[in-house]
Amino acid sequence: MTVQPASGGVAQRPTATGLADVIDSILDKGLVIDAYVRVSLVGIELLTIDARIVVASVDTYLRYAEAVNRLDLSESGGQGLPELMQNMKQGMVADKGKNAVEGVLESAADKLEGLVGGSEEDQERQPARRRKGGG
Amino acid sequence: MSTSEATDRHQRSEDGQRSDPRVGTYVYGIVPADVEETGDAHGVGGPSAEVAVVRHGDIAALVSELRLDRPLGTPEDLMAHEGLLDAAAAEVPVLPIRFGAVVTGPEAVVEELLAPHHDEFQAALEELEGRAEYVIKGRYVERAILTEIMDEHPQLAQLREQIRDQPEEVTRDARIQIGEIVDQAINAKREADTQAALDAVTPVSEFTSLRDPSHELDAVHLAVLVETDRQDELEQVLDKIAQRWAGRVELRLLGPMAAYDFIVAQGAGDG
Repeated sequence: MTVQPASGGVAQRPTATGLADVIDSILDKGLVIDAYVRVSLVGIELLTIDARIVVASVDTYLRYAEAVNRLDLSESGGQGLPELMQNMKQGMVADKGKNAVEGVLESAADKLEGLVGGSEEDQERQPARRRKGGG
Repeated sequence: MSTSEATDRHQRSEDGQRSDPRVGTYVYGIVPADVEETGDAHGVGGPSAEVAVVRHGDIAALVSELRLDRPLGTPEDLMAHEGLLDAAAAEVPVLPIRFGAVVTGPEAVVEELLAPHHDEFQAALEELEGRAEYVIKGRYVERAILTEIMDEHPQLAQLREQIRDQPEEVTRDARIQIGEIVDQAINAKREADTQAALDAVTPVSEFTSLRDPSHELDAVHLAVLVETDRQDELEQVLDKIAQRWAGRVELRLLGPMAAYDFIVAQGAGDG
């Protein structure tokens, strides 16, 4: 066994949606127990995990077209056109910059919170296990 | 739960439940033997599944008892599997085992998993020492990216006029044409933006691994193996990218997590 990238590049392979982050990380990843354990393996039924191949289809195209259509209407109508849109076109959105940066940090914390199952700050800082001698 | 309690529990289960075919041992991953159970992390199979450590030599397996009377794979099961491994990976090296690994009991974990592969697992754990995986996910903001694409592809304005106020049935060809142009443009942007993110994080990473996009508006999907001491540097690098892409890409950093994308078995036990 070596520690190295398990995949070399962008390959055409089914990927998943729903519970997206967890499924992206653990589906088809990790050491396969069958390669190590033979005699005492217990076969267990696994629920089918809804996986979706990301390939552009006619449906995708039509959805993009409708989005372009809506985009057009909101621009020409001028109704509720957010100032944000104009800023986006110029690629300069000062206010959003701060939010985006915060978003990075928050989402990492969100994930910890969600997966460890705790809602308190303390629990994020108390992993399930740590080195002996720590306490 | 303390370590000794965990061990006792498993010895009891060996004695008392070994012959019960409806109970198995779920295996999460391999860790160094000096881990200690300190939290109340619950495992796959419901809140009652208490996580224990089965040791052999310098290595150990994270396991929990599992009732075999229902299929595995609910959202809670998947979250529990990754949650446990990631919590461990924040502290110690972890070799994740693929979801759904069940053996007959703790003794099988020692005899068939840990003992025969002790040195191989230990070497891999040493390589992972002080490192963890992080995942970088960027998602295009649809309105922003479409506006950008409109600006870059003048022919879209004309096609847009054709479909305006027209039902989908009579403008299908023009719509598909628009869709193709947008799809190609997004693919090109994804490739460029992924490369930009890769270039930015490579200096702070030990290894990098591209992941397939899992959504059509994915801008970046990237796994990196990073020294946990350098997490701050990674965050700083990503902050800069996030600022540059503000309003255009929603960037997220996940981790630290187990090294799902960086463990490669070398035909272990296949021979």
